[in-house]
Amino acid sequence: MIHVVKQEFIHSFKSIRSILIILFMTVVSYQSASFIQENDTFIQQAIGMNEDESALYTVVIVLLIGFFGFLFVFATSHDVINKEIEMGTMRLLVTKVSRIEVLTGKLIGTMLFWIVTMSISFAALTMIAGSWFPKDYMQSLVFIFYIVSFVLLISTLIPKSTLSMFLGIIFGITLPIVGLTATIIDRWYLSPFKYVLPYHYLDGPIFLMIIPLGISCIYILIAIYLLQRKDV
Amino acid sequence: MEILQTKQLTKSYGVTAILKGIDLTIHQGEIFGFVGHNGAGKSTFIHTITGIVNKSSGSFHIMGVSDQQLNQIKSNIGVMPDVANLYHHMKGIQFLRYMGKLTGDTRSREEYETLMKEVGLEHVTKKKIKTYSFGMKKKISIAQALLGNPSFIILDEPTSGLDPESAIHIRCLIKRLQKQEKTILLTSHNLDEIDKISDRVGILSDGVIKKLGPPEYLKTNIEAGCRISIRTKPVLPEAAVQRLSSEIGISLSFLEEKESHTQVQIGSEEDIPLLVKELTASDFLVYELKIEERSLEDVFMNA
Repeated sequence: MIHVVKQEFIHSFKSIRSILIILFMTVVSYQSASFIQENDTFIQQAIGMNEDESALYTVVIVLLIGFFGFLFVFATSHDVINKEIEMGTMRLLVTKVSRIEVLTGKLIGTMLFWIVTMSISFAALTMIAGSWFPKDYMQSLVFIFYIVSFVLLISTLIPKSTLSMFLGIIFGITLPIVGLTATIIDRWYLSPFKYVLPYHYLDGPIFLMIIPLGISCIYILIAIYLLQRKDV
Repeated sequence: MEILQTKQLTKSYGVTAILKGIDLTIHQGEIFGFVGHNGAGKSTFIHTITGIVNKSSGSFHIMGVSDQQLNQIKSNIGVMPDVANLYHHMKGIQFLRYMGKLTGDTRSREEYETLMKEVGLEHVTKKKIKTYSFGMKKKISIAQALLGNPSFIILDEPTSGLDPESAIHIRCLIKRLQKQEKTILLTSHNLDEIDKISDRVGILSDGVIKKLGPPEYLKTNIEAGCRISIRTKPVLPEAAVQRLSSEIGISLSFLEEKESHTQVQIGSEEDIPLLVKELTASDFLVYELKIEERSLEDVFMNA
């Protein structure tokens, strides 16, 4: 499995989309942190936040992930499984290793790419702010893990990569809107989205992130079940 | 020892049954050839026993391990898939190393290059697979099936599309593998090739094995008659063959006319003297009559 992880991890960095996303995240994090550093007092007075300085530094990166996380992960990984099936290379893989190993390897490889991306962004913040933000870092990683698991499920469920890309754009736009709306507005029809999507849990204590973590595991189990039953 | 044993193995896609209860045993060290028409189920059989597709019913054991635990022995099975299923963006050597790592193959870079040389690809080790010719893709596909030193090797159409020299090279490689006690299951459209290299042959038709046994056994057990080649003057036309068949009441059918020889299928060797007598009576001078050696093609056509 380790070789599937390695292959997927290296492959993630070879895409121009991935490089652009890393650059975008890093530059925005660095620039926002520099701006906050220079205008610290002014911003705190303007938005009325004075009890938690770290929230000020990490607000931009949390917003980035919240608004663009689904879109970014779909852009880089929507075809992580179905492309292998389309190309026929999945046939080669399943004769060598088990399907669970293929899927888990792809999941870890993709996740590692995002851990590196997030770590670079947080490192940029740390450099400017002079302090580390472990809670926000962990929350962001769980958030990304949720999205990667969801994308993996879609890629297993949808046989064509063109369709998963199209759905990725739709989900990438609608899910942040629905998720954030459900967190702010209390309507019965938005309740399922409030509890299934990870946005609601970002606002609470860190241990609440265990819920999106659990939902992610359910997505992965469904993806494994689907892949086991699939004729590749 | 049985390397592969299938029991009533079936595979259906929706309501279409592709494999309709395959019972087959392949023994250690033998080369087993599978032949069949397009769509007979050869590739589906291979896909089923290698876990590419899920069986519909029945069971199979590979090296004594049940199909439920197939993952345990995957590294001991070498599978050559279709050439379309390769990582075309990778370089040849890079592809083999990736496949080797997945199989748990621990050979060095030099040994990978030796493997590429063994299949005749030493000059393109650093070129991307997408630049390879069809024959080269076949060869690298075979090379990856040999990674991990598997004892059971499954080759799907290993020589189709290859030039004669490459095909001979691959056939020699298969024979060499057999000498190393490997068990080989191969499919081919080339009946002559299957005849030459297989210890046993299975003829698959419409999802069931119609004939099974050593090539020689199958050839000597064809039920329907034999093929003869006759050189007459004038050349025997198709109409005359049909007329003779109805006049003398023997099973006789025209096959082809080639270079002043007429090929006919006759119901029984016992009818040949009667045929010669009637030909002479019909003013056809018989210069030559030869009973054609039975081939696997005859077996295939009779299956």
